[in-house]
Amino acid sequence: MDSISLKHIKNGKLQVSIVILLAVFTILSALFALGIGSSENLDFFTTVKFIFGFEEPSDLQSAIIWEYRFPRILMAIIGGVALATAGALMQGCLGNPLVSPLTLGVASGAALGAALAIVLGFSIVSIPELAIVANSFVFSLIVVFIIIQLGKMTSLTAESYILVGIAITFICGAIVSAMQYFATDAQLSQLAHWSFGSLSRPDLADVLWISVVVIGLLPTAMKWSWDLNAISLGGDEFAITTGVDPISIRKNILILSALMTSIVIAFTGMIGFVGLAAPHMSRIIVGNDFRKLIPCSAVFGAFLMIFADTLGRTLFAPIVIPVGVMLSIIGGPFFMYLLLSKRGI
Amino acid sequence: MTFNLGKNQIVSLLGKNGAGKSTLIKCLNRILSPQSGVIKVNDKDIKDLDLVQLSKLMSYVPQSVRTNFSMDVFDVILLGRRPHIRWRVSPQDRDKVSETIRYLGLEEFSFRKFDEISGGERQRVIIAKAVVQDPDLYLFDEPTSDLDLNSQIQIMKRIRQLVSVGDTSKSALIAIHDINIAARFSDRIILMHDGGIKAYGTPEEVLTEQNIADVFGVSSELIKATENSPLRILINDEIIKFDSTDEQEVDDNE
Repeated sequence: MDSISLKHIKNGKLQVSIVILLAVFTILSALFALGIGSSENLDFFTTVKFIFGFEEPSDLQSAIIWEYRFPRILMAIIGGVALATAGALMQGCLGNPLVSPLTLGVASGAALGAALAIVLGFSIVSIPELAIVANSFVFSLIVVFIIIQLGKMTSLTAESYILVGIAITFICGAIVSAMQYFATDAQLSQLAHWSFGSLSRPDLADVLWISVVVIGLLPTAMKWSWDLNAISLGGDEFAITTGVDPISIRKNILILSALMTSIVIAFTGMIGFVGLAAPHMSRIIVGNDFRKLIPCSAVFGAFLMIFADTLGRTLFAPIVIPVGVMLSIIGGPFFMYLLLSKRGI
Repeated sequence: MTFNLGKNQIVSLLGKNGAGKSTLIKCLNRILSPQSGVIKVNDKDIKDLDLVQLSKLMSYVPQSVRTNFSMDVFDVILLGRRPHIRWRVSPQDRDKVSETIRYLGLEEFSFRKFDEISGGERQRVIIAKAVVQDPDLYLFDEPTSDLDLNSQIQIMKRIRQLVSVGDTSKSALIAIHDINIAARFSDRIILMHDGGIKAYGTPEEVLTEQNIADVFGVSSELIKATENSPLRILINDEIIKFDSTDEQEVDDNE
């Protein structure tokens, strides 16, 4: 093998090693977060002893760790992985570094579903406790279905998908605003809290289900890495001449991204920034090769969520600032820094 | 429209703006679909081939590639192996890329970002990507339009090498504006006019003063090819106007 090939292999191994190190760091951060909270007798070292069986926790301590903190941190990991992966996929298939999983109207569809449940009491399932989650999930997918059907009828380009997404966001937003106008104070408060995005809503069973779905979809995301490289580098013409069908791939990726995003925000509410920022942060390390960009984005997404949630839990403890709010506070200035720095977009 | 592309040949498509040169090339590789009719390559309807099969048969070099997502030059060229790769990159794939990098003199840029190199260098990278795709036919869409004079000659020489070197049976179809470049480097020229082929043959057969006047509306002088220099066409300023009779009127700029 010649020296150029060897250098390519060496570069690739270096990037993969960095991603693995980041993943290990993220897991350690998760462990650290598990030991952080407002409980006085449950500090980091005590928690580590309980987790690894060196000491036996009390019922209260066990409940705090396994019923409160662990589902939350697991949700942070899985939610971060899902939103960041969806973000990377969408940026690639739409050829635009400024799109996020929420661009296509997935979030506004979810918000519409939640508003219908909260304000009008309309639910697509008969179990009241599942009304908001079910509505959010289904309505976000309805929005994506509409966009895909529009794409089939009119051969939408990548740019057109984005514009249609924006239009649908406005339409859904208008309907939600109208409902808010007529809502009671209690309903307004509930809707506002849903929109903040919180990792405390799903219980452990919910998080495990979400994990199964997200982990099940990840290999499919990776399968399209090569095709995304072709589409993102040179657009549809370049992709076609490299044996890639951009229209079919784009449709499939949008459906996959929507599924990953919907399953998370149906339970947590609106969480932005992660899907936009994690791929950008990853590009600094691994470049635009989606075979590495997708896993690296997933790792960064998990880390960002853990970081933001832990900060929100501890900054003004015992007051908990929802993760969606924390990410918005961190996200804006950080993204401005990325844009202005040399290694931005 | 029927034409032959011989093995080891460069065939140039010449014509006015809007004659359909780029459209023809894009229809061949299914970037565009014809409004009617069938496109056959080697007697096979190209619609019966999937995109992977088609991209093994022909590769395409556009006028330019602009991107929001830059990659290392090596990885851009490696994309040309996409029709041959299921998932994993084999040592043979990497070696093919490395060989092509050396063949096209791109060693210096192998690990630079695609958007950090010049236009001429980027064109060579895209040609390299087309080469590693290992097609039977190269399609070039105005490969010299964005390049300086030296780069234009370099690119055309590389294309000549691609179809001529070794026991390869490859061909190249090039949509091009520069009539002198076409005359110098083409084995055959297809002169397009009014939606069809006005002339097809060697540069000497096709590039006559009458054909140039009919298609481009300019008068010209031809300097015949010798052992040491190719056929050259000198374009005059005068516009040739036609009326409905056979009589030709020449505008006198003075």
